[in-house]
Amino acid sequence: MTGLAIFAVFVALMVLGVPIGAALMLAGAVGIGIADLGWFSIPNNFYAGIAKYPLLALPMFVLVGAVFDRSGVARRIVDFGVAIVGRGPGMLPLIAVAVAMFMGGISGSGPATAAAVGGVMLAAMYRAGYPPAYSATVIGAAASVDILIPPSIAFIVYSVLVPGASVPALFAAGVVPGILAGFALMIPAVWLARRHGFGARELDQPRPPLLRALREASWGLFAPVLILGGMRLGWFTPTEAAVVAVAYGVFVGMVVYRTIGFRDLFDILVDAAEVSGVILVVVALASIFAYTVSTLGIVDPITRVAQESGLGSYGALAIVVVVLLIVGMVLDGVSIFLIFVPLLAPLMRLYNWDPVWFGVLLTFMVAIGQFTPPVAVNLMVSARLAGVRIEQTAPWALWFVFSMLLLLVILIAVPELATWLPGVLGY
Amino acid sequence: MTDQRPDPETSAPRRRYLPEDWVGGAAMALLALITFANVVMRYLTNESFAWTEELSVSLMVILTMVAAGGAVLRDRHIRIEAVFIGGSAQRRRRLAILSAIATIVTFLIMFGLGLRLFWDDYRYEVTSPGIGVPQWWYTVWLPVLSLTIALRAMQRLTMAWRAS
Repeated sequence: MTGLAIFAVFVALMVLGVPIGAALMLAGAVGIGIADLGWFSIPNNFYAGIAKYPLLALPMFVLVGAVFDRSGVARRIVDFGVAIVGRGPGMLPLIAVAVAMFMGGISGSGPATAAAVGGVMLAAMYRAGYPPAYSATVIGAAASVDILIPPSIAFIVYSVLVPGASVPALFAAGVVPGILAGFALMIPAVWLARRHGFGARELDQPRPPLLRALREASWGLFAPVLILGGMRLGWFTPTEAAVVAVAYGVFVGMVVYRTIGFRDLFDILVDAAEVSGVILVVVALASIFAYTVSTLGIVDPITRVAQESGLGSYGALAIVVVVLLIVGMVLDGVSIFLIFVPLLAPLMRLYNWDPVWFGVLLTFMVAIGQFTPPVAVNLMVSARLAGVRIEQTAPWALWFVFSMLLLLVILIAVPELATWLPGVLGY
Repeated sequence: MTDQRPDPETSAPRRRYLPEDWVGGAAMALLALITFANVVMRYLTNESFAWTEELSVSLMVILTMVAAGGAVLRDRHIRIEAVFIGGSAQRRRRLAILSAIATIVTFLIMFGLGLRLFWDDYRYEVTSPGIGVPQWWYTVWLPVLSLTIALRAMQRLTMAWRAS
């Protein structure tokens, strides 16, 4: 009964567009009030929810993203990409996906990457003859893969929620599926462009000289090596790797490329503070909700229902996939994890799902949801930048969704794709 | 179809700063500097200042709440936006009012309970587990900043109210 009241309040507030954090806290408060759990669990859980040292990696990686998004790295890597693959139908979208994946290897959030890559690529793709709705789809979809490619803010939050999954293990587990997801987007992107003859208009433009493009881009190309390599070699913890990347990015932006001035630096800090605050306040308020749900044992029946239904591991997983794909369309990855991981944890134990593999799967589903029209978080950003309505992207986006769903099935069938790399690296 | 070119305005830096932005930006800079100093010190001296963990964590709490207040005024908080996009102006206004009220209630509750938490820490002279400074130096920010967030939400409420 109490459980029903909690979820009714939460769903009602959320559907009415109330900020997720407030909806979670008020629903939790209703439960605490009914079951008399003690009002002080509210501020205590709020504080304890974010006063965790490992969580410091989150604002630091947000800052890394804010620095690199303005450093001009994206534009130079685009030039480098053009120098490698040349010009012609399908080449620019290919580069857009590759650059979005690469920026995902530096920054940790999808919408930020959609803005950074969109800012560089949309105008170029428009001039080359790609329809804006198609370009917006490619960039929105590519930016969604970001949360799979380390460093990923979604993985940091998942690791805080699931004790058995460490940040380095999750980061390593995301690499192979993230790269495969990139290919899963490149194939329909190039195929569609070829079929419709998009991008023929740029053939007369010069190709940048390879060596100079490489030299210009090398500063940016080194950043993921520093972040991921430094963590792999045990030089840095995730938080330290982030702050070293910030220092490196500020150096490249201020000294090498001279794209960042002191005024920009302050803008970057303010932006990063705002983005971090918006995410972390949900983390804090969600811990009140999670406390109520777990103390009252509301999710325990889920295990029983799953057992009695005789669905089996794959049947249960299929239901989880459908639910998360739908939710992923309207909510960002971090919020979904905060709401659903406590609910799904009993299932994970019941079916003995590997927590790292399951984390990658959840993230993959969220990634698909973030560019599935009509209500996709990342598609919204890129469509706004491209000046198109989100419905116009639908005929294009469905190809990419289909391709990613195929890959999701493969990931479920072959868990080694996610678990192999962390195993080899010894996490 | 409307104008198809990318809009440069959407990526333009914002011009006006709120007080929250100054504090949030400064807290962000301080967090990065402390963490970076930790890395450097660890490599130079093989020692780490473990005590900075406590400081960083409480700075992160302050950063979160300060930035959350600014984001309330700018309406940047995470929510399901689908209901706003489809509706009429009247419906959007009603939903905005509901959001503001829910935010006010949330953070007034946090203010009241946080005040009690702070008062207990102060009265019983609780000291922090890491450095051993009075715990209330940290807990005092919970009620104070909850109140600022609630005030920003009230500002938001009056804006939505007048938008009729």
